[in-house]
Amino acid sequence: MYRLVTVLMVLLVGNVFAHGHPGHPNLGEEASSIKASGKIFHTDGLSVIRMMHPEFLNHKRDKTLREGVRTKEGSLKGCVNCHANKDKKTNQYYSVNDKDQFCSTCHQKVSVSVDCFSCHRTTPRKGTK
Amino acid sequence: MSKTLNRRDFIKTSSATAVGVATIASGITLTTFAANANENPVTNAKRWGMLIDTNKLTEVEIDGMVSACQQENGWGGEVHSTGDQKPTWVKKLKVKDKATGRITSLPLMCQHCEEPPCVDVCPTNASMKREDGIVLVDKHLCIGCRYCMMACPYDARSFVHEDLTDQREHMPRGKGTVESCTLCVHRVDKGETPACAASVNSDAVIFGDLYDATSKINQTLKKVQSTQIRADLNLNTGVRYSGI
Repeated sequence: MYRLVTVLMVLLVGNVFAHGHPGHPNLGEEASSIKASGKIFHTDGLSVIRMMHPEFLNHKRDKTLREGVRTKEGSLKGCVNCHANKDKKTNQYYSVNDKDQFCSTCHQKVSVSVDCFSCHRTTPRKGTK
Repeated sequence: MSKTLNRRDFIKTSSATAVGVATIASGITLTTFAANANENPVTNAKRWGMLIDTNKLTEVEIDGMVSACQQENGWGGEVHSTGDQKPTWVKKLKVKDKATGRITSLPLMCQHCEEPPCVDVCPTNASMKREDGIVLVDKHLCIGCRYCMMACPYDARSFVHEDLTDQREHMPRGKGTVESCTLCVHRVDKGETPACAASVNSDAVIFGDLYDATSKINQTLKKVQSTQIRADLNLNTGVRYSGI
């Protein structure tokens, strides 16, 4: 009986530590380095960007496409550039919408399918226009 | 902490305010503020256009314009589309005068009409004209009905038939939407010229603001003979041709 309780306890504690991974493994190359340097990019607070990012993106898309306003705020290109992860072995970027990558982590959990990336580029394109 | 304002202080403050207003009213401050055009919506004070001189333009240069467009916007690499399915934003066209037998080559792309038929027929308002005259497809709203492709007298629009990856980051493209020449709107907004115009070294292709009396395109249009393709449709195209 005691043995069974011990096994259960070990499993439970193990589970807790498994989720307590230090840092955010899929936060993205540039976003991780910004976080590490102690700077804050989303100055309105993380809860604002987490809740409101669809509205920001929708608003910006109309401003950019229809009115030609090309500022950096709310730019999907900016999201992708910061939040894309690199495969350390091949030095290639993962797509931000790949399984367990930045965009998918939450969207999988809440069952939201996004349609940004059937048209938009999913990896940064550094050094080019 | 209350401070009484005596007569002398009051006069000082009000004269300072008057100077401030004068500076803004002079227009210099306002001009500097509006310098970064990308922060402000585009207006109808400008109308972008292009003048193509087919007498000066060689066939090699036209091919160069097509490949510059492909390179800039990332179309032309579709592997699963066949024949007419393949997207074509700009194409080389040969026209022959039956009476004289004279053959002229010209690049044909979206003509960026002032009265675009594609915008008239669009059921979702995806096909749209910017204030500065650039005709675009808002792919967020496009349902892929292809009415605009039927309506366009220039056959300028294409439908994407296959899944795409690795798009240019400034030019999102995707299956199930219609696309066409954007007059390289991302470059124009940065103050550059479209990729096709930039690929031609001579002044055979002139890009600029049709309304600006000091622009090269405006001045050239005043001097040389030019025509709109299917001018009988009264669409008032932004792309004009000379020599056809």
